[in-house]
Amino acid sequence: MTDTDIIVVGAGPAGSCAAIAAAKAGKRVVLIERGPFPGSKNMYGGVIYPRILDELIPDWFEHAPIQRWIVRRSTMLLSDTGALNIDYRSNAWGQAPYNGATAYRPDFDNWLAQQAVAAGAELICSTTVTGLLRDAQGRINGITTDRPDGDLTASVVIACDGVNSFIAKEAGLYKAVDASNYTLGVKETLSLPKSVIDERFGVRDNQGVDIEILGGTSGVNGGGFIYTNLDTIAVGVVLKLPKLSAQKKRPEEIIAELKRHPAIAPLIEGAEVIEYSAHLIPEAGLDMMPKMVADGLLVAGDAAALCLAAGIWLEGVNFAMASGMYAGQSAAQAMTAGNTTAAGLQTYTKKLNETFVLKDHKKLRKIPHLVLSDRVQHKYPGFVTGIVERMFRVENPHPKPGVRRILREERKKAGISLMDLVRDALTGLKGFG
Amino acid sequence: MSLESLRAANNIERDTTWAELSFQERIDTAEFRIHERAHITVNGDSCRGCTTRECVVACPANLFVPTSDGGILFNYENCFECGTCYMVCNEAGAITWTYPEGGYGIVFHRT
Amino acid sequence: MTIAVCLKWINASGQTDIDDDRFMGFSYADQAALEYALRVAENTNDEVIVVTAGPVGAEAVLRDAIARGAQRAVRIDIDRSHDSAVIAQAIAQAVSHCSLIWCGDYSSDRGSGSVPAFIAAQLSFAQALGLVDIVLPTGAQSPITALRRLDGGRREQLEIRGQAVISVEGSTARLRRASLKGSMAANKQVIEIVTVNQVAVETPPTRAYRPRARAVAAPVGNSALDRVRQITDTSTAKGHGETVHLEPREAAELIVSKLREWGYQS
Repeated sequence: MTDTDIIVVGAGPAGSCAAIAAAKAGKRVVLIERGPFPGSKNMYGGVIYPRILDELIPDWFEHAPIQRWIVRRSTMLLSDTGALNIDYRSNAWGQAPYNGATAYRPDFDNWLAQQAVAAGAELICSTTVTGLLRDAQGRINGITTDRPDGDLTASVVIACDGVNSFIAKEAGLYKAVDASNYTLGVKETLSLPKSVIDERFGVRDNQGVDIEILGGTSGVNGGGFIYTNLDTIAVGVVLKLPKLSAQKKRPEEIIAELKRHPAIAPLIEGAEVIEYSAHLIPEAGLDMMPKMVADGLLVAGDAAALCLAAGIWLEGVNFAMASGMYAGQSAAQAMTAGNTTAAGLQTYTKKLNETFVLKDHKKLRKIPHLVLSDRVQHKYPGFVTGIVERMFRVENPHPKPGVRRILREERKKAGISLMDLVRDALTGLKGFG
Repeated sequence: MSLESLRAANNIERDTTWAELSFQERIDTAEFRIHERAHITVNGDSCRGCTTRECVVACPANLFVPTSDGGILFNYENCFECGTCYMVCNEAGAITWTYPEGGYGIVFHRT
Repeated sequence: MTIAVCLKWINASGQTDIDDDRFMGFSYADQAALEYALRVAENTNDEVIVVTAGPVGAEAVLRDAIARGAQRAVRIDIDRSHDSAVIAQAIAQAVSHCSLIWCGDYSSDRGSGSVPAFIAAQLSFAQALGLVDIVLPTGAQSPITALRRLDGGRREQLEIRGQAVISVEGSTARLRRASLKGSMAANKQVIEIVTVNQVAVETPPTRAYRPRARAVAAPVGNSALDRVRQITDTSTAKGHGETVHLEPREAAELIVSKLREWGYQS
C-alpha cells in the first residue's frame, strides 16, 4: 500500500491542473510545493491564456485573480532609434468568454492550487523534493524530500517541477542539457497609478496591453516585453544564455537600456521599480523536449520544456495547464487500469500529440531557432525599421523613391544577402504555415 | 514653437525621469527568506582557471564577484534560484546547485 | 499536565501593513517558545496545546505547530485590533488549565511584549519574561533555570517552578522542521475554536502623552543673568540622584514622596 495514489511535484500551473484532474478522477493526490505558498517561486513574461481551464474549472473567469484582460496585442520591432509597432485591438477579448489575461503569478498560481485543494488534493508547501524512490524493478514509486521522515510513496509521480526539473533529469529523460536551449528572463514590476496606465496605453477598466519586442536587447540575442497590470507595468527582457556575457552587459543594464529607448521611455516615465525578478525559460520547443513518460513518472509544464517561444506567439502557462491536466487524467486512468508502467501511461503522450500541446510545437518547430538566429536578432529590426523610416520620410523636392529601391538599398545596408532573406522568409512561411 | 518652450508651456519635464536604482536597491525590492545553509556552492579552485567567467555577467542577482587574486566570491543569500549560473558555467564541477530548503529563498509577490 | 504555547499570527516578511494569508507566519521568538515547549513535553510526556488569536487564516500557524509536534490547537476567534490586555484575557481563559505557558518575548510586528505579562497577571502565574538562555531540567522535579535580560547588559538568574508564563527571545532556540507525515496529519487536525463574546476588560481611553505639570521655584539671584543661568545652565549637575539605605516600606514611601515632590505624582 502506497502512502498516496499520485504525487504531483510543484504547485505551478501544470502541477495544480494535474492535481485537480487526478483528484476529480477520485484519486488520492499529494501536491508538493517548495515555496512557502504556490506561486512564490514563479515569474513569467506576461500573458495567461486560460481557455484550457474551461474543462477543469468552467467558471474560472469569474474567480481567477487576474489583473487585466488583454485587448491590445502588439509586436514591436526596435532599432536603435526607431520602432515599428504592429498593434491589434479587440475589446471583445476583454469580455466573456475572454482570451488572454495578465496576472501576478503568486496570486494566480496560489488560486489554482486552492482549486486543487477544493477538488480534494492535499497541498504540502515548504517542501523541496530531493529525489525519486524506485521499487525492486527500478520503477519510480515515490519521492524523497528534505523533510524529516520525508519519503512518500505513490503509484505515479507527476513532475511539474519547472524549468530546472531535477526529477526529469534524475529519471534520465533529458538527453543532455544544452544551455543554448534556454533563455534568461528578467523583469521589473513598475508602479504607476492606474489612471496613468490607462491613459498611456489607451485602455480603461480592466483592459490590458501586451507588447512583445524584437530588438532592443543591447546586441544580446533575445527579446523584450511590456505588459500592464492594474496599477503596475512589467518591463522585461529575455536573453539567450550562452554568450550572454559577450556584450559585457548585465541583465539589469539591458532592461535599463530598453527602458531608455525613445519608444518605451514615455510609457514608463516616473514609474518606480517595486520588484525585480528573474527566471529561466525553456525556449527551444520540440527540439529540447525530454521523454515525458517513464515507469511511474510523467513530466509536464516547463519541466517538459512545454513553453512556446515562436516569435509572435509566446505562451507557456496554457501549455503547462494543459499538459498538467492531461498528465493528471492519464495517471488516474492508468491507475484505474492497474498499469502505471511507461506503457500504461502512454495515453499522456497520445493526448499531447492529439492536442495543441504538441501540435503547435510541431508546426512551429523551426520558429524558436529562427527568432533567436543572429540575422533575425541583429539585422532584421534595423532592416525593417529602415524601410519604414525611408518610406514615410518626405524628402521634397526629391520625389519618393520606389519601394523596391528602398528594399534593395536597405537590405544591402543591413548586410543581408538576397538568398538569406528568401531562405528566412520561406522558413517563416513554412513554420507559421 | 520650440521644443523647450512647448515643454515649459505644458509643464513637461525634460527627458525621461525615473529614479535610477543601485543594484542593492534593486535586489531589496525582492523578498528573500534566507536559510543559514548555502544552497549553491562554488569551487574557487575551478574558477581560478576560468577565462570566460560567464556567471559574473549573467547572474541576474549579481552574486558572483571576481576577486583581485583571480578567484570568485559567491553569495547565495539573494539568489533567484533561476539556474542561469550552472547553465552558463564552463568549468565542470565548479558550481554545485540545489534548491534551498523548502520554505526558504526567493518569495515573489508581484511577478 | 498541559503546556501551552501562544503564537501570534503576523506577517512573516516583516511588512506590518500587508495582511495577506500567504505572507503570514509566526515570529522567531514564538518559534523558539514552541521549540522549548516541545522539548519540555518530550521529557515529561506532557500535552502541548498551541493557541492563537485571530481569524480563520490564523489556523495556518496552528497547523504548522501541530505538524511540528503539538497535540492540540485552539483558535480564539477575536478581532486582533483589540488591546493587548483584552487579547491576553481571552488567551488566559483558554490556557488557564495549563502549567506552563510559553510565549515569544515580543512579536516582530511592533509587538511590545505585554501579552505574556498580562496573561501571567490574569492567571496569577509566576512570570519569567524576556529570557535569553534557558536550561531545561533533566529530572521531573528540578526547575527550569534561565537567564533574563535586564537593562545595562545585566542578567537575572531565575529558577522556574510551578505555574509560570515564560517568554523567550527568538535567538534562544531554532524550531525543528516538521516531518512530511506530520504536515499531512496536521492538514486533517481539528482546530478548536473559542469565541469571545464578552470583553470584560475595560481599557482606559488613551490620549496623547503630556508630561505632568510640576511646580518650579522661581530662580533666585542678584542679576537677571544669574537667574537665567540658574534655570538654563547645564554645566553643573543638579540631578535628583540620592542613594539611601532603608527598609523596603520606608524606601517605597520615600520614593512616592519624592515623585510627588518632583511632580510625577499628584
